[in-house]
Amino acid sequence: MRNQVEFEVYGKYALFTDPATKVGGEKLSYQVPTYQALKGIMESIYWKPTIIWIIDEVRIMNAIKMEAKGVRPIEYKGGNTLASYTYLKDVRYQVRAHFVFNRHRPDLDYDRNEHKHHKIAKRSIKAGGRRDVFLGTRECVAYVEPCKFGESEGFYDGYGDIHLGTMIHGLNYPDETGLDMLETRLWNPIMRDGYISFIKPADCEIVRPIKKLRPKGFSKDNLEPAEELDKELSREGGIRWDG
Amino acid sequence: MGWMNDLLETYENNVNQVGKFEQKGDKEFTLIPIAHTTQYAQIEVTVDVNGDFLQAKVVDKDNANTVIPCTESSSSRTSAPAPHPLHDKLIYVAGDFEKYVGKLKKSSPHNNYIDQLKKWCDSDYANYKVKAIYQYIQKGTLIRDLISASVLVGDKNNVLITKWSKELEKNLGYKPAIFEVLSETQDKAFVRFDVHQPNTINKKVWKDKKVYDSFISFYKNRLEKEDTCYITGEVTPKTETHLSGLRRSGDKAKLISANDTSGFTFRGRFNKGGEAVSISYDVSQKAHNALKWLILKQGKSIDGRVFLVWGNENTDAPSPQDDALTLLSQLDPNLTVSNSLQVNTHEIFADDVNKAIDGYKRELSYNSNIIIMIFDAATPGRLSIKYYQNLKESEYIKRIQKWHNTCSWLHRYRKSNEGKHIKFCGAPATRDIANAAFGFKSSDKLIKETMERMLPCVIEGRKIPIDIIRSAIYRASNPVSMEKWQWEKTLSITCALLKKHYEKEGYEVALDEKNKSRDYLFGRLLAVADVLERRALSKEEGRPTSALRYMNAFARHPARTWKTIQTNLQPYQAKLGNKGIYYNRLIDEIASNISLEDFNNRALGGVYLLGFYSQRHELYNGKNDV
Repeated sequence: MRNQVEFEVYGKYALFTDPATKVGGEKLSYQVPTYQALKGIMESIYWKPTIIWIIDEVRIMNAIKMEAKGVRPIEYKGGNTLASYTYLKDVRYQVRAHFVFNRHRPDLDYDRNEHKHHKIAKRSIKAGGRRDVFLGTRECVAYVEPCKFGESEGFYDGYGDIHLGTMIHGLNYPDETGLDMLETRLWNPIMRDGYISFIKPADCEIVRPIKKLRPKGFSKDNLEPAEELDKELSREGGIRWDG
Repeated sequence: MGWMNDLLETYENNVNQVGKFEQKGDKEFTLIPIAHTTQYAQIEVTVDVNGDFLQAKVVDKDNANTVIPCTESSSSRTSAPAPHPLHDKLIYVAGDFEKYVGKLKKSSPHNNYIDQLKKWCDSDYANYKVKAIYQYIQKGTLIRDLISASVLVGDKNNVLITKWSKELEKNLGYKPAIFEVLSETQDKAFVRFDVHQPNTINKKVWKDKKVYDSFISFYKNRLEKEDTCYITGEVTPKTETHLSGLRRSGDKAKLISANDTSGFTFRGRFNKGGEAVSISYDVSQKAHNALKWLILKQGKSIDGRVFLVWGNENTDAPSPQDDALTLLSQLDPNLTVSNSLQVNTHEIFADDVNKAIDGYKRELSYNSNIIIMIFDAATPGRLSIKYYQNLKESEYIKRIQKWHNTCSWLHRYRKSNEGKHIKFCGAPATRDIANAAFGFKSSDKLIKETMERMLPCVIEGRKIPIDIIRSAIYRASNPVSMEKWQWEKTLSITCALLKKHYEKEGYEVALDEKNKSRDYLFGRLLAVADVLERRALSKEEGRPTSALRYMNAFARHPARTWKTIQTNLQPYQAKLGNKGIYYNRLIDEIASNISLEDFNNRALGGVYLLGFYSQRHELYNGKNDV
């Protein structure tokens, strides 16, 4: 496909916080990554406001293991506190994702070059991502590599179905839905032999509105086209990128 | 599935247990219905169906645990008056409280109570028993009736005596029963109500399912704010106050709480806790009550940390923390452990374990899962889930089986009910492992930490942490530092850990004469020296042999120390005379197997303990014994 990518992401720890344990502060990870976490990983690898990443499928490669750690969360008002976070241990996921153009960004119409974005995304995966990649929370550093989805042996091969109960699918942000509302999506995933096929965000039936939120605007004031930067640099006698 | 789903499912599967009290040790517990909680009552008042007072009595402590209906605000009440709906303290239920105790500063708690009860009685869900109690309450004569029934004691001015004193006892001649069960003053007594109808079998009000259901329907109907539940996905009445007291009564730590107003546990994208998550009242109640029940029923608690394993269909599950012997008797009560008692070979015992586990497996249904959870609180207010795993029961059993077959050794530290030592070949309990590695007097903190670290080794097949093995080897190499039984226990447990650690090499209790590894051979040498000296000593002389006394040094500098041990052996060799020839020959044979360049002072690896154990076992039990 001209807009699909496949990659493997792995790390020593992961924390996809179960919302029930988020509010009290003694975080416990979901057993598998959420759609939104994988989308975040994909966006760390490569993202532009022009595109929206859609996660198609994830494959859980390693057995689900957990490990608790005592942590000292930062107390913004000073003082000291101790919490216990429970992380997933030794995780490895194969992910398949594709991008679509963000229809709510007509101003970026000129940038809708599928071939270009596809190539950049593939190069970014090969490079291990453009920005720091992490699994769920910032302290769980992750590594990204290209892979062929479904290849090599996984722990849950032939394991059968695991019903994961109701889980967070992801969040609806205003710039992707066109509504001035932040919403949470829920769904009931089933893991089959280690594979979870995600439904599309728009197909999630359980949507909970959270609060009013306006999209961040992009305009000439906070966006600089590459062409202009290039001109400026060459005028100053700086580095020439095309030479 | 998520942990809340698991608990919810467990509640639904065990609904028939609701309100049925079970006894474990001195604790009485039950699966509490939703919108209910338990309280210790001191006074029991019985009225008839018309709401007339019949009798009252003091409740003895063994009988005091009572299931009472509660509301969200009453179950988490602190100083503000929030009455329970039916049974409660005198200050709420007695209309004549002020008359007998004194003016109250705050607005009348009794009015709040009676208003709430009236609403229940006026609703479509009201129960005749509750109506009878309401009729009685309306009379406002409770304390008067209790005093006339000699349950409560008033003084000359008709004021409740707060504290019982020796003087009062002298005047009266006896101590009223109420003061035996009260830990506080009389006015703090908790009252439960019962209704008696003549010529029928009366179920106690606090054990009557119809009363439970009456309140649940009434209360659920009054819950208003609806929201999407993150556990079921359905739009149902939500709650933001979740239960505490999960590990034990009086435990303030909550699993779900949200009181962060300055930090950033959830704030940032969300402003209020309710934006980050929403959980339905029904789910929260059921999940928390199921958890309370399970913890009391089968949780293992060490220094506040709770280890809990249960099945979603059949809640009983073999514990990963137990040793092979306990597991065996748990899985198959008919299997007489005593048959296998004096069997030395691992195979036969392992066979028993396999058989018992197989027998257990046959009953499994496709959907049955095992859930393993560990809870602890780092701070008093919040309970954390330190471990969560949901496995297919068949998979779980397979892993337990594997653990018991691979981390096994021959142990003698358990005693039977008759006080006889039992030999068993299997995995030690994780608690015993912690003791072996860190000493028999180590703190509960260290023990619980080690047990938690061992758990993934059992159920996830992870490697045993190397520091635990090292520490165990170090302690097992130092027999003079502890009592004999402690050392023997440490030794056999360390051997089990080593067997697991060197799983591929496949060490067995039976002596492997073909094993030519340096550590193993040195261990065998030490064992022969130990047995030789022990044989030469008379039975009364229980002192440690030179082999044991030098064991620590031997492990660090084997060649040099062996010289010392051998010199010390000479008098015993002489004493044994002809009987000692076999041992001498054995020493020569083993020593000749150690190649010259290996016979040096490089410290020994843990495997030497396996050589030591197996050789000693062989000498004491083998056929070659002369």
